[in-house]
Amino acid sequence: MTWFLRAYLLLVIGFIFLPIVVSLLFSFNSDRFPTLPFKAFTTVWYETIFADPDFWRAARNSLVVSGCTCVLATLLGFCTAYTDYRYSFRGKSLFLAIILLPPTIPLIIIALAMLAWFSRVGMSGQIVSIIAAHTVLTAPFAMAIIRLRLSQIDESLEAAAWNLGASEWMAMRNVILPFCKPAILSSLFLTAAVSFDEFTVAWFVSGLNKTLPVHVLEIVQGTIDPQVNAIGTLVFAISITLVAVSQALIFFRLQRSANRPTAAPT
Amino acid sequence: MTDPLVVLEDVEKRFDDSVAVRGANLTIGAGEFVAIMGPSGCGKTTTLRMLAGLDAPTGGEIRIAGRRMNDVPAHERDTPMVWQSLALFPFLNARENVEFGLKMRGVDPAARRDRAINWLDRMEIAEFAERNVETLSGGQRQRVALARALVTEPQLLLLDEPLSALDAHLVIRMQSVLTRLQRELGITFVYVTHSQSEAFAMADRVVIMSRGEIAQIGTPREVYRAPRTRFVAEFVGRNNILPGRVIACDAGTAIVETALGTFSVEGAATVGAAVSIVVSADMMQVGSPQNPIEATVISEEFVGSVVTAFLEAQDGTELKVQVQERALADLDLAGSTLTVGWSPGDGHLLVEEP
Amino acid sequence: MRRLNLYALTFRLPIIVWQALFFIGPLIFVVAMSFFVVKNYRMVETFELESWAKMVSRDYVWSAYRYTILMAGGAAALATLLAFPAAWFLAFRCSARTRQAAILLLIIPFFTSYLVRTFSWYTLLAEAGVLNGALGVLGLGPYKLLNTAIGTLTGYLTLVLPLVVILQTVTMANIDARLIQAARNLGCSPARTIWTVILPAGKTGFVIAALFAFILCFGDFVAPFYLGGSNPPTLPILIIDTTKAGQQWPRAAVVAVMMMLTLFTIAFAAIMFAYRKRASR
Repeated sequence: MTWFLRAYLLLVIGFIFLPIVVSLLFSFNSDRFPTLPFKAFTTVWYETIFADPDFWRAARNSLVVSGCTCVLATLLGFCTAYTDYRYSFRGKSLFLAIILLPPTIPLIIIALAMLAWFSRVGMSGQIVSIIAAHTVLTAPFAMAIIRLRLSQIDESLEAAAWNLGASEWMAMRNVILPFCKPAILSSLFLTAAVSFDEFTVAWFVSGLNKTLPVHVLEIVQGTIDPQVNAIGTLVFAISITLVAVSQALIFFRLQRSANRPTAAPT
Repeated sequence: MTDPLVVLEDVEKRFDDSVAVRGANLTIGAGEFVAIMGPSGCGKTTTLRMLAGLDAPTGGEIRIAGRRMNDVPAHERDTPMVWQSLALFPFLNARENVEFGLKMRGVDPAARRDRAINWLDRMEIAEFAERNVETLSGGQRQRVALARALVTEPQLLLLDEPLSALDAHLVIRMQSVLTRLQRELGITFVYVTHSQSEAFAMADRVVIMSRGEIAQIGTPREVYRAPRTRFVAEFVGRNNILPGRVIACDAGTAIVETALGTFSVEGAATVGAAVSIVVSADMMQVGSPQNPIEATVISEEFVGSVVTAFLEAQDGTELKVQVQERALADLDLAGSTLTVGWSPGDGHLLVEEP
Repeated sequence: MRRLNLYALTFRLPIIVWQALFFIGPLIFVVAMSFFVVKNYRMVETFELESWAKMVSRDYVWSAYRYTILMAGGAAALATLLAFPAAWFLAFRCSARTRQAAILLLIIPFFTSYLVRTFSWYTLLAEAGVLNGALGVLGLGPYKLLNTAIGTLTGYLTLVLPLVVILQTVTMANIDARLIQAARNLGCSPARTIWTVILPAGKTGFVIAALFAFILCFGDFVAPFYLGGSNPPTLPILIIDTTKAGQQWPRAAVVAVMMMLTLFTIAFAAIMFAYRKRASR
């Protein structure tokens, strides 16, 4: 029974990773239409995309968008998490709802709403529009990570800082921020990864300033082109690195507190 | 006692739906060691937090060194606190923790480092200066916390149950560290605790609080021997409390009728008043010819060489008797019936409040 | 310190302003937009029911509506069933290390391009693709997988299966192990234990997982577009077509509002069901 379940789990994980692996393999296959058997190993698809100025423009846009998004989303996520940790006030659940709600609304609706809204307020087709939209989409992730970290703080730590002569701002700078540092870093990487992969909203809002996933979307809309596999593999490598760093930061922290050396005798 | 350093005048603290402290009047002299004690929720920690400026009083006035402090924010006071959880900063090493208060006050790095090392040395933990505080033992962390609080050389140190997380043998050690420090520095300690032994062992005066009010202020001896209210008598130590009624009173001696008999006790009260006679367990004697009561031993408790016997009189009143263990050699306790009593001078008359 | 001061406001106001500008604003605007009209290729801000009347009276809108709910609901149900044995294994039958590693593996896909994965499925499912090629070796096929409901469902499952497995695992891992032990001690067979103990105890978690799956599929345009061949189209594809090709934003807004209302209703019903106390028997 157990071996059967184990095999089943591997099957599920296999189903999930199959497209990722296939995309990786075929990005090096010389045949234009990806089918079995493999023809020959080639890096021609990578050379094609690297020679394509559109790719570089999209990559640059993606970097700018995810770079700015992760900073803004982490900032907003931190403010929300800290407010939730420190204060209780009337309307707090509404306050939390407006930042935590976006992931529960289908991206296509948000995309349409953003498109219409940005063109109404004269912000259509700009990089900043994508950044604003992505910040809304990713801030909840930042909030969750940082709030989790704050739930581990000794509540008298901040008061102890005031008691030792720190104003609220100095306590923020010298106690709360250093304490949250691992979560803040982790949040930066994670929100960057989410933003880097998002294409629905980016597609609607971007106009001519395409990001990498939107570039992929437009290639896919044409014909089957193994370029997509190559770009996909690159995007995958970048995302996975960002997520791995983020996870490692959290994991490393947990490990450190779990394996804290036993106290030396007095 | 010299000039008062801390004055609380009719201090009150209300939270949204409750009163944590009310009508608190207290004067603490410079260089005094005062312990505030009481059961949890009695308002002792709130009182301490108001001294630190972490909670603002909603009524009355707090003065420190003659200055009205009600609206002075925490970081503008010099009232460092040693926290129950110690509240050491986990991302700083021991020295950096001690430096924190100096850094916040803008002392330059070299000077604050010297002063921090100096204090760590004084607390006998200089060798751990660069260690992560999370790797230190409970006693070492305690010393870091003390050094961190004292490094600014304040006039007043607040301590919020600082020893509650330590093992029993370390508590005794730290008590002597604290009293020695306080004497050497000559500064005022305000020490909140629920532990009577800590308070009595260290404090010049103790303040007993109950349900947000100060029930009694006095030296440990006064509070122990002459509790002013029934709450204090029950809270402090092993007291036998015999409720009764005054049937006669003259020349400073009252005759009180209780369920266990009629006894005389020093003190004044109006005839007919409801009173209690309080006799501490260590004043009770076995086989006493004076005020004798027959009672059966129910259980015993050994603490070192002292034995506390719990007895039950015929009418069910519980009595406690404390005797030296070696005096028990020829006594057979459990289940036996003893005659216990006290000399009239050792009883304390407690007039019940109406 | 209790009063609202500059410090407290610094951490509160920027979020409120930001979310109002870039989240609440757009959402309200899309609702308002469903009442606008397009005249001479320009959108006029007014309050008319024209777009609503047009969309509600069209059969293709309703067939897309039915098809989207059917497919998203089917994918949610399928994901729930397919995830269960894996989640059961992770919750009860493996070491903590294996569970941690598996959950980490299952989290990774969230941060990889869904678009690229879908394209990959496209090459896998195509008539001359890898899957049919492999089947051909066995003398089977070729089967038409692309541009069918199977294609769409494959895409949907790629999107939601990892999430459902994780949520179900967490749900079952949090069920009091003593309940299960008690059931086994009382002679319950494993199948009966699942039915009488695990499903009722984990009801909330299972329903929430399925709800998430439904919401994600309901709003996804990639799978039905590339793998299902827009045949027939789903509501998200309708939104894209009316926006990108037709320039009929108000009509797209009508579809968006229909979707939101549907989601709210279904989410509300699911949550009510999930948290309802079991009727005493």
